Amino acid sequence: MYSLRTASLRLTFMLETRDLSKTYHSDGVDYEALKNVDLSISRSDCLAIVGKSGSGKSTLMHLLACLDMPTNGGVYFDGRDVSLLTERAKNSLRNEKFGFVFQQFFLNGRDTVFENVVLPLRIRGASAAEIDTNVGNAINAVGLTDKKFKKAKDLSGGEKQRVCIARALVSDPEVIFADEPTGNLDSVTGAAVEETLFNLNREKGITLVVVTHDSDLASKCDRVIEMKDGRIVSDTARLEAK
Amino acid sequence: MKTWDLIKTSNRNLFRNKLRTFLTVMAIFVGSFTLTMTNGLGDGMRDYVESQVKNIEGDRVIIVRKKVDRPVGGPRAGTPAEYKENNGEDGDADFDPNSVLMTEPQMETAAHDIAGVKSVTPRYNIKGEYIALDVGKKYQLDLGMLSEGINAKTEAGRPLSGDGQIIIPIGLARTMDAEIANLIGKTATVGYKLPDGKIKTVALEIVGVATKGFMTNYASFVSAGTAKQVHEDQRPKDLPDRFIAFTVQMNSNDAAAIENAKSKLAARGFEADTIADNDKRTYDAIGIFKTGMNLFAFVALLAASFGIINTLVIAVMERTKEIGLQKALGMGRGKIFAIFSLESVLIGFWGALLGSLGGIAVGLIANKVLIAVYASSFEGFSLFAFKPLSIALVMLLVCGIAFVAGVMPAIRASRLNPIDSLRYE
Repeated sequence: MYSLRTASLRLTFMLETRDLSKTYHSDGVDYEALKNVDLSISRSDCLAIVGKSGSGKSTLMHLLACLDMPTNGGVYFDGRDVSLLTERAKNSLRNEKFGFVFQQFFLNGRDTVFENVVLPLRIRGASAAEIDTNVGNAINAVGLTDKKFKKAKDLSGGEKQRVCIARALVSDPEVIFADEPTGNLDSVTGAAVEETLFNLNREKGITLVVVTHDSDLASKCDRVIEMKDGRIVSDTARLEAK
Repeated sequence: MKTWDLIKTSNRNLFRNKLRTFLTVMAIFVGSFTLTMTNGLGDGMRDYVESQVKNIEGDRVIIVRKKVDRPVGGPRAGTPAEYKENNGEDGDADFDPNSVLMTEPQMETAAHDIAGVKSVTPRYNIKGEYIALDVGKKYQLDLGMLSEGINAKTEAGRPLSGDGQIIIPIGLARTMDAEIANLIGKTATVGYKLPDGKIKTVALEIVGVATKGFMTNYASFVSAGTAKQVHEDQRPKDLPDRFIAFTVQMNSNDAAAIENAKSKLAARGFEADTIADNDKRTYDAIGIFKTGMNLFAFVALLAASFGIINTLVIAVMERTKEIGLQKALGMGRGKIFAIFSLESVLIGFWGALLGSLGGIAVGLIANKVLIAVYASSFEGFSLFAFKPLSIALVMLLVCGIAFVAGVMPAIRASRLNPIDSLRYE
């Protein structure tokens, strides 16, 4: 189980990167995907990371989400350097504190909505009671209560992505990482999915990190980070109240 | 993930591609089926032989012969043994090195000073002619002796308890009286030939009817004392009396004392074996036969295990994205490994279960058919015997082989990188 050391006196950001760099090696050639990135994300932030493909936005998200190891620098979650965590603790961190929504749905079509949503809790080994409550709530929150026991393959694209959001939500995460969440959807269903995500941010205070090249989606976020060639080139906060 | 969830997940994964799973299970089925059959055959033979030798018992008796270095087989087969010069006395402690025969004093000398020895009995050479009830028909008689301490299990009556008694085989008993228990206590007339060709008769009380077995199917048995009388009558008086073997009866069945006596006798130039030693040699021969047969089945299983590897390697490729997602959502390597290993073991389990059931079914049918055909020559013989422990071991072995086959694909799955896996096309 991942536990936080809350006794820290220093005010810390929820997620921070310091001098974060990532270099890929392939065929003897080094490719610097991220160059000395410093970024601070506060609790309940609604943040978009934008940039062209190859700008390093996905790499940044993977490092923030502990899916990858930096070459240099560090990622801090609640002030703790995650590179010091064991593999098991990192797994627990992702399982309990993070939620993921991907462009591709990664749903098991032959399973029911319920079985797809329950996955993080099964991985954790949650109790039957916890599973019942949390899965019910998560499916309810994305408005799919009546489709709970339908097979995932019988759902529309927008519904599928809402199942993915329910799956991200089921473990009561502190952060949801959404990688091109509307990339596979038409504009109407995409807007509905965006709305679901923003609601979670506004009503539950879940920190939202959206990676997208859709400037329309980015403009709806409170803060937009623009990336180019592995560096942050702009960090714009929208000033009006949520 | 809880263990039960892991098993459920693995089992569900298996039935995603039913045809592929079915074919892999069938390969294992063939191997398990063969192993069940070969094992059953070995057990069946052992059971039969055991039922045949177990009816002669004696836990404190050592059977002793002079050791002869006669090459039995191999390149030296047929090589004549060299004649050894000796003083020709053939005294108590000084055996004729050119003969396997022993005199009674020689036996006494060989064994009497060994701790725990109660008595030494020569194997009296006797030959019966006929046996008859009162005025009834005469039947040919195959007569043998049981040394003190050795007994034949009886179907009716009781074992030999002294001289003047006889135990008869069940076939003879049934011919004399359909109700064999009626024979117990009756007096039989036994005839045997003297050196001059005349027949001498002796009256013996039938005390028991022996249970079936290799030795007791045809022979009747008398005690050492009775055998000695017959032997004295039958032997040529002009030569010293010599015997081919003798038995040593110990005071108790204490294993250490028996081992000590055996090694002392061996050091003195004898071959000394208990009845258990003789039985063990027979069982060992069957065991070797069974192992040889099982090897063939093992080869079939080995071939099938490559089927499992193949199935799982494909499954890992097909499910790369799913593995990537599970890892992103915090599933550890161990759990991924466990899911694929369990799938492998489950394939083994289903194959082993079907193979065992199939093997048992075919074996039982074969037994029925064979009993109908060969009942007269091998009474009580089942070609296949299926023992729960044997079956359980076969299933465990197959699951073990399946697990080993699954290790490589499972490790591959557990080592997948989540980011690359999620992007896998």
